[in-house]
Amino acid sequence: MHDTVSFVALCYSNPESAKEQERSHSQRRGAPSEGQWRQRDKEQWQGEGKAQVRQADEEEQKPRQHEEDMVPKGTCQTMCPAQELRDREAQNRLHHFEMLPGTEKDRRPKGDPSRAVKEYSRPAAGKDSTKPSDLRPPPVLLKTVNYLINDIAAAPSLYPWTEVYTFVFDRLRAVKQDMIIQRMSGLDCVGILERTVRFLIYASYRLCGEPLRLYDPRINDIHLQEYLSWLLDCYMTKTGPHPNQEEFQSLSLLYNLGSARTMQHTMQLPLRLRSTPNIKLALFINQAFLERNPVRLLRLAQKLNFLQTCALHRHLMTCRQDLLLVYSHGYSSRNCRFPLDRLAKLLFLDASLTAQLCRSCGVEVNKDNQVVFSKAAFTEPGQGTLHCKLYHSIASEKQRDLTVKNIVQSCVETNKK
Amino acid sequence: RRVLDVVKEDVYEAIDNREGSFCAELLSFKHPHVANPRLQLASPEDKCQQVLEPPYDEMVAAHLRCTYAVANHDFVEAYKFQTLVAFQSHKEENWALPVMFAVTLDLRIFANNAEQQLQKKGKGQPSEMLEKAAEQLMSCFRVCASDNRAGIEDSKKWGMMFLSNQLFKIYFKINKLHLCKPLIRAIDSSNLKNDYSPAQKVTYKYYVGRKAMFDSDFKLAEEFLSYAFDHCHRSSQKNKRMILIYLLPVKMLLGHMPTHQLLRKYDLMQFSDVTKAVSEGNLLLLNEALSKHETFFIRCGIFLILEKLKIITYRNLFKKVYLLLRTHQLPLEAFLVALRMMKVEDVDIDEVQCILANLIYMGHIKGYISHQHQKLVVSKQNPFPPLSSVS
Repeated sequence: MHDTVSFVALCYSNPESAKEQERSHSQRRGAPSEGQWRQRDKEQWQGEGKAQVRQADEEEQKPRQHEEDMVPKGTCQTMCPAQELRDREAQNRLHHFEMLPGTEKDRRPKGDPSRAVKEYSRPAAGKDSTKPSDLRPPPVLLKTVNYLINDIAAAPSLYPWTEVYTFVFDRLRAVKQDMIIQRMSGLDCVGILERTVRFLIYASYRLCGEPLRLYDPRINDIHLQEYLSWLLDCYMTKTGPHPNQEEFQSLSLLYNLGSARTMQHTMQLPLRLRSTPNIKLALFINQAFLERNPVRLLRLAQKLNFLQTCALHRHLMTCRQDLLLVYSHGYSSRNCRFPLDRLAKLLFLDASLTAQLCRSCGVEVNKDNQVVFSKAAFTEPGQGTLHCKLYHSIASEKQRDLTVKNIVQSCVETNKK
Repeated sequence: RRVLDVVKEDVYEAIDNREGSFCAELLSFKHPHVANPRLQLASPEDKCQQVLEPPYDEMVAAHLRCTYAVANHDFVEAYKFQTLVAFQSHKEENWALPVMFAVTLDLRIFANNAEQQLQKKGKGQPSEMLEKAAEQLMSCFRVCASDNRAGIEDSKKWGMMFLSNQLFKIYFKINKLHLCKPLIRAIDSSNLKNDYSPAQKVTYKYYVGRKAMFDSDFKLAEEFLSYAFDHCHRSSQKNKRMILIYLLPVKMLLGHMPTHQLLRKYDLMQFSDVTKAVSEGNLLLLNEALSKHETFFIRCGIFLILEKLKIITYRNLFKKVYLLLRTHQLPLEAFLVALRMMKVEDVDIDEVQCILANLIYMGHIKGYISHQHQKLVVSKQNPFPPLSSVS
């Protein structure tokens, strides 16, 4: 500070104004935004009116500083803010998962405060989304996510899982909104994001093949990528320990199979992390994909656990088609006779599904169950003719006794916060 | 006369006389004036307003505040003020382009430094500052690209390539290469594209070449990177080396191995084992070489591309088998044996078939596999076409 005064003194002959200048400097800590300087009248700058200018400056700064200190901090201790519950009850906009049991058939069902969850609402002009009583602090958000997973997604339900998904998806989106408004970062976010990512990955497998009006894989994908991206950023900015980082880096690699960007990101992780078994396996699978070795890829995929297979599963159709394409060229000859059973083993499918896949790609299977590869015959199956769901065996075999709760909470249960 | 007055009057004169380069120096952090403590002011606005017209009053004031911030090693603050300078720098006519160049260059550098500082403190999202800098540069770019003055000599379009190059540097750093596309399109459709300075063109082709590499368009990558290498000034050893780091893998994928002399001349011996392994079809050596220099290759972003050399290596190995057995009906076992000799243990006959099928599909082998006879039947004519002729 001492130095500043002497600098300033250099410029001003008048020590008085030097002090004033210093005061206004400390108030101008934050750089003014582009428009602000322009607002001054040119006249004011010429000598006279310096004091007025400084005052105007102060006033301009006040709201900004105020805004910077005012990161909204939630105080709502319930999963749904009381006001919202009252409103939705009055407007008959409760979800049946939120209704007080016994009142579902009433003209105006009652809300159950222990089961109501804040819903996602689009930000709108004039709507104040920063009221503390409407925002849930980190511990409540985590509690909400656990409730959604354990008591809704994982619980047996009379309703189809597409409905369960839609409800949980929406409520998780509201959780994310609360996180963003409160500028949450780092470790607070990690627990929430990890569970959300697991849920969406599982959903991408379970709801695969459902009609578009009930489940849209593209929307699931967009949101999943955002959550995943945020999660990986959290790992990067906050020093650990992050006990689940290995799991999620590998899920990211599998979900984004073949993405040069994801691979480059992974290659830049510390060696110690990169060498963990799950990440190494995911990298090998990616390499097999880039080398166009579907035989190797499908074999390595056997080593994945259930959730990892869910992450990978949407790429498996492409890999299998690729195998048929490459073999159509490699074995192309009139006398080609490739045993269907052998092919089935390579594809990790049963014989009848293999035959079906061949048919969809124009690959001929003769009456002796021999595949007659021909490069001229292979055709890319039309949009929507291949139903991924039929070929889910590679994943479903691994599901066995796993419950939804196991899958989404998995090893997180050992890290009770 | 006070130091500040002298500088301000020089700026005033430079602006008045439209001396772009001199003005640029006075606002650039490459110029020694920034180290003068008597210029490092926390609040110089009044003095600037007295001498200079807008927007120079703000620009110079922001610049001086920036020198203050830099002297205090506060790059986050420095970046904030540099933003103000940059914001105004494209408002003038194109004589001020050197000013814009100097200012945007410093902007990018400060964004880099600010990010590092924030990272150390554990604050802020990664790439946040660089993304902001990119947004600002992009708006400068748009102003330049849409400058439709009659006379081409006066047009701000001359700023487009410099700005693109700055933006490329950021996009590559933050790993968002897809953002390069609109810039490339804009430059490509501009009639000035061949008339920019040689230095700018070399930088431009370097980045576009690297982007092509990333998109697996190796023929295009070779074209651009070769241009950059050939036209890079002889004295810029460091730059030539950088270009070569990317040109080499591309050329290798197209079947052209670098000579030992070239590698030694540019201190790129990391590639020598890789080269040897690929030509010999030695998968073991390839894996070892990639592993040994992994850090270097990853840092340069070429590790993944070098892995693609595996396919070429397989091709070279299998060609050797063909040359050895001197028959055009090759038992699959022979390839398996060859791989085992290269200590590749985890590949079985099924995978061998897959690898061969892929080589046939890619055009590296002319022939077909017979499953019944467990043989690879190759064409009697040129079964292993030269690598440069394939894709």
